[in-house]
Amino acid sequence: MSYNLLKGKKGIIFGALDENSIAWKTAERVHEEGGTFVLTNAPIAMRMGKINELAEKTGSEIIPADATDVDDIQNLIDKSMEILGGKIDFVLHSIGMSVNVRKGRHYTDLKYDWLEKGWDVSAVSFHKVMQVLYKSDAMNEWGSIVALTYMAAQRTFPDYNDMADNKAYLESIARSFGYFFGKDKKVRVNTISQSPTPTTAGQGVKGFDGFISYAEKMSPLGNATALDCANYTVSLFSDLTKRVTMQNLYNDGGFSNTGVSQEVIERFTEE
Amino acid sequence: MSDIASRVKAIIVDKLGVDENEVVQEASFTNDLGADSLDTVELIMEFEKEFDIQIPDDQAENIATVGQAISYIEEAKK
Repeated sequence: MSYNLLKGKKGIIFGALDENSIAWKTAERVHEEGGTFVLTNAPIAMRMGKINELAEKTGSEIIPADATDVDDIQNLIDKSMEILGGKIDFVLHSIGMSVNVRKGRHYTDLKYDWLEKGWDVSAVSFHKVMQVLYKSDAMNEWGSIVALTYMAAQRTFPDYNDMADNKAYLESIARSFGYFFGKDKKVRVNTISQSPTPTTAGQGVKGFDGFISYAEKMSPLGNATALDCANYTVSLFSDLTKRVTMQNLYNDGGFSNTGVSQEVIERFTEE
Repeated sequence: MSDIASRVKAIIVDKLGVDENEVVQEASFTNDLGADSLDTVELIMEFEKEFDIQIPDDQAENIATVGQAISYIEEAKK
């Protein structure tokens, strides 16, 4: 269903790989709501996925950019404003990667150059994108910037490994930059802490299927899907949430505030 | 070992962080050398850059071992 919530709004969407991606679903929903945007991803992710299909479907242009490279980001933002015909109203940062997770390094045996690569891609890239937007004065007043995170930033999930720390870093950057973006440009910055979602990136986490089932049973409303996240993001890009900023917002069916659910108790109750 | 073979092996050692001794002809990137989907695409892109060639996706899918990479590139550079 479409409410025309984003009519006339222009943006940039990072991180759509394939139809399982949250960024992909968000692009589709933003399109339905009347927003226009540029799609971007790292050259390697573009080759892995099928972003061309999404671009065609949503009438969008693609500009490849390495989100850890400030020159690439500057080029992306300059060109996006040209293509879209003005300043930016919304940005989605849906980027994350840990080499230690990918290579199966235990948290007590991390390789530090991999750790640095991971936080650069997963967290510092968010600062870089915002710093370029800020310095270029590229955001419209009452614009909205959203990054995706996970609750491992607050509570420990052993297999989430150094991504937990990257997410904590990402959320902190949202608050710190959110202050200046709010004060100086009237732009809001938030993170959405989403239920575990079966995307290409999510499946890199060990034991992910069991973990999704557990979260499902622990959430009074069940896990939030990629589409749920896309809908929530649309609301944060819209004018209906103008003074929501510097928040880490849970979109998780209630998981984060549930101590235990009846279903989980029953699994551990002896007959 | 040919020049191409040694350059291919050097890229694999660097990108996958594996020991040189493991990078034998029959070694599979995913089964033996621990590559995930991102690594395999990254390897293909590195080969393209290093040897200034284009490897179409449908052919990249057939490059699963060290030996297959070397022979593909040797053929492409002829």
